[in-house]
Amino acid sequence: MPDLEKLHEAVIEGDWKAAVAATHAAIAEGVPPLTIVTGCLVPAMDEVGRRFECEEYFVPEMLLSARAMKASMAIVRPLLAASGAEPVGRVVIGTVKGDLHDIGKNLVASMLEGGGFEVIDLGADVAPERFIEAATARHANLVALSALLTVTMPSMKTTIDAFQAAGLREKVKIMVGGAPVTQQYADAIGADGYSDSAGSAVALARKLVAA
Amino acid sequence: MRLKLISCEVLFREMCHACAHSPHQVDLEFLPKGLHDLGGKPMAAKIQEAVDRTPEGAYEAILLGYGLCGNGLDGLQARHTPLVLPRAHDCIALLMGSHERYQAYFESNPGTYYRSTGWLERGKGLQQLTHNTMGFDESLEAMIGKYGEDNGRYLFEEMTRYRAQYRKLTFIETGLEADGKFVAEAAGEAEERGWSFERLPGDLAWLGRLVDGQWTDAEFVVAAPGQRIAASYDARVVKVRT
Repeated sequence: MPDLEKLHEAVIEGDWKAAVAATHAAIAEGVPPLTIVTGCLVPAMDEVGRRFECEEYFVPEMLLSARAMKASMAIVRPLLAASGAEPVGRVVIGTVKGDLHDIGKNLVASMLEGGGFEVIDLGADVAPERFIEAATARHANLVALSALLTVTMPSMKTTIDAFQAAGLREKVKIMVGGAPVTQQYADAIGADGYSDSAGSAVALARKLVAA
Repeated sequence: MRLKLISCEVLFREMCHACAHSPHQVDLEFLPKGLHDLGGKPMAAKIQEAVDRTPEGAYEAILLGYGLCGNGLDGLQARHTPLVLPRAHDCIALLMGSHERYQAYFESNPGTYYRSTGWLERGKGLQQLTHNTMGFDESLEAMIGKYGEDNGRYLFEEMTRYRAQYRKLTFIETGLEADGKFVAEAAGEAEERGWSFERLPGDLAWLGRLVDGQWTDAEFVVAAPGQRIAASYDARVVKVRT
């Protein structure tokens, strides 16, 4: 399907205008919205993630690809909702309290969206109560916590503890990430998962909501 | 004692001052600013290289002028000579004089950018150490030049938005500033970014205890030969493991 190939290429190349054009063309041709997402946007963002891992793509290239993907999703999303398609999962994502770093978190949020998730992005410096509020209000089944400083990593534990204290720990899966975070730390604080890259975050998220 | 100090160059003035006043004989080596941008494991490898260059039997201990630094000291192994590391997350804690003071200040002052003499004057013209930071200090013109008008502008906005999320610049004043240019530069940077500005008195006593050999367990972790430094994920910041 030439339009999907063009869309795939537009996302890889970080060309949001071409992505918009190809998306409109694909819809006009009758390509189902879900196919656009799972058959094109998801594999395209997976490839972008792979290139980042190999250091072919850096943060700017990732951001441009995410921009193109989001431009396409903006068109597809209302059609998906209208067709009654359910998202793969609902994830509340944010950088924990005290930490203002968000580029990595933004990339993961984009990748999750491209991966078929409904993403509720709370931004940075998010207190545990806000995570709980959003997860409850939006019926999220996944919470993703980001931290970039060893000084703010303890906020990950307080957030998980807060879910526990509120009696909500069983209702959500909680995953953690960020440069100084490790599997060992994730295990120590009782997180359900840890990933060390934006690409593997999507795979982990899919696994966690399927369980 | 004869001691070897391997320190980040960001602490240049403070370490030289401390060593000059130490009762011990301290040999100093500075490593480049910004190793933390490489990521935890690559930074640890670089510091391990410096540790491994230290001849056996020459020193009673190797002192590290670092904190955990984003796990850049995690996994560092003492070979034939013990390693001594302050229980600090990073150099800002060291300049403030205690882990508790840093923690309290950090929590009550979210969105703060820290500066000191070393943060201002060291590492200027630093070669991009890693792709992880590529693009974050480029100008709008440079981004447009590389990515075109539309994408360039978008990237510049995305990658500098963090500046709007920071609200304050705190200059940690140690008393070692030879003249007013450091404060002036820090104040100027704050004004340029639209942040508020604070001059915070630093406290060099912790660094002093490092080079004076006063290594209480509360403030320092000591790795005996064969042991490794590790993140402890608690208020003690670091621990040793075999």
